Amino acid sequence: MKKTLAIVMVGIRQMLADPVYIMFLIGLPILMTWVMSFLPVEGGMYEMATLGVLVMFVALNIITSAGGYILEEKQNGTWNRILTSSTSYWNIMAGYFIKIFFMAFMQATILLLSSKYLFGAPWNQGYFEMIIVLIVYIFAMTGLGLFLAGFLKSQGQIQAVAMAVVMIGTMLGGVFFPIENPSTVIRVIASISPQSWAANALKEILTVGVSLSSLLTPLIWMGAMGMLLLIGGVVKLQMEG
Amino acid sequence: MAILEVKDLKKAFGSRQAVNGASFSVREGEIFGLLGPNGAGKSTTLSLVCGLLKANAGKILIDGWDIAKDGVKAKNLIGIVPQEPALYPMLSAKANLRFWGTINGLNSDELEKAVNDVLKVVGLEDRAEGKISKFSGGMKRRLNIAAGLIHNPRLLIMDEPTVGIDPQSRNHILETVKNLRNRDITVIYTSHYVEEVEYLCDRVAIMDNGQIISEGTLSELLEQGSEYQELTIKLNSFSENIQSSIQTLPGVEKTFSLDEKLKIITSNAEKILPMAFETIVGNGGIVSEIKIHKPNLESLFLKLTGKALRN
Ligand SMILES: Nc1ncnc2c1ncn2[C@@H]1O[C@H](COP(=O)(O)OP(=O)(O)OP(=O)(O)O)[C@@H](O)[C@H]1O
Ligand SMILES: [Mg+2]
Repeated sequence: MKKTLAIVMVGIRQMLADPVYIMFLIGLPILMTWVMSFLPVEGGMYEMATLGVLVMFVALNIITSAGGYILEEKQNGTWNRILTSSTSYWNIMAGYFIKIFFMAFMQATILLLSSKYLFGAPWNQGYFEMIIVLIVYIFAMTGLGLFLAGFLKSQGQIQAVAMAVVMIGTMLGGVFFPIENPSTVIRVIASISPQSWAANALKEILTVGVSLSSLLTPLIWMGAMGMLLLIGGVVKLQMEG
Repeated sequence: MAILEVKDLKKAFGSRQAVNGASFSVREGEIFGLLGPNGAGKSTTLSLVCGLLKANAGKILIDGWDIAKDGVKAKNLIGIVPQEPALYPMLSAKANLRFWGTINGLNSDELEKAVNDVLKVVGLEDRAEGKISKFSGGMKRRLNIAAGLIHNPRLLIMDEPTVGIDPQSRNHILETVKNLRNRDITVIYTSHYVEEVEYLCDRVAIMDNGQIISEGTLSELLEQGSEYQELTIKLNSFSENIQSSIQTLPGVEKTFSLDEKLKIITSNAEKILPMAFETIVGNGGIVSEIKIHKPNLESLFLKLTGKALRN
């Protein structure tokens, strides 16, 4: 546990040392959220756009930082040095997981708070449900990000994969605009994409006000996906070499 | 008692057999040299020993623990000093050492003492709070050693710690390693510098093409090569003719050409020298320098493989 925490702390210090990255993490999505606040509030369009931005930026951030962070460690040689320490692969993975999870959760919280308090979003219900959905969503995406990170060998690959995950999962998943008469492919994407599940769940919480028990399907799906990918990431680490 | 036992180790990358049946053992408390030319498979062997790579065949036992089965227990006994410094550049020396100590299982009581202790070993006490990114290359190397020592490992694995640094830092590192003798720690020191291995090591394994071609104490190995001396003649105009004529002289074991130099392995340099000289002059060659080396690991390596360690 101490070892895991040490990995988390070093990761956070590393992140804080890079102000440009923090701008990308917080500044850009806040700007987007602000622009979205000019959309008409009726008919759920505003929610769709704002939550779409949130879900998309969280996904982008998680995939790029999981990949980039591990790549940087590999280039530094610190990755190998951690692997040769007496820390188990589970503890190592948990360290990266917690760091990325924490960072993405901060980002999501800042975006939601700024929507409401800076840009006047008319939301006043479902905070608890929202937090649960966000936690489970970020859990799933972090699992995906770390799993993919094991395969990515360059900054270019990270960009490409992040773009693919974000575009496919968000756009085709119907996060920003409802897709009329979806083809089978699109329906399949929407039914696996955690972005799609999360955005729809968040929107329902904010507009209709549903309870957690009716969100069981998305929560279980995203939770299972995160868990499997996390296990996959550790297994990949054990098989390597 | 062997702290490290390596048996019939094999590792291939694709069709390239980087380690090809290497066996050697390292005894508790010694400084063990792993000497070999570029691409011999030294780094690969070390990566296998510290569990970063998985072997295709063979066994690695660290104090009896099989790295393939009891990885965490075995790794606990090892400290590594990678070829390139593996540190967090934006953290201070102290913060780095605290991190590597924690990762290797030190608790907070042990940590402060261990950090100060290893900083002293590498002579960086006064730079403890400095950021690594501001360190010179030599200082990074020294801190890299400190990070390998932080959890007081039984076996320290050093992969060419002096490659590409200035002579002063190099000397500092050699002294540091030599002084590790006072710490009851076993060291594996990889290098392709004969002088370093001869200066530091109690026992040496010579590696070539993924295999250990000779292993023993420094004096045993020197003894093995002792019937031979190495005669180096620097020529202004080298020709194949000269080399092949000298090769046929009685008492010449092997000849090699290296840059402008002709290296002759012989059992009797005094006798060969005038004959070689004559041959060279007779072929129109001009001699600019002559050296006779006493037997060293370089000449043993030449004798065993027909190759120079460095080229
Ligand atoms: N990850 C890898 N993938 C493919 N081939 C590799 C890999 N690592 C090493 N090799 C190959 O294996 C052989 C042994 O390499 P290794 O790095 O172990 O040699 P070395 O003795 O450490 O050499 P040097 O003195 O240059 O450090 C080389 O031919 C190298 O090209
Ligand atoms: Mg090497």
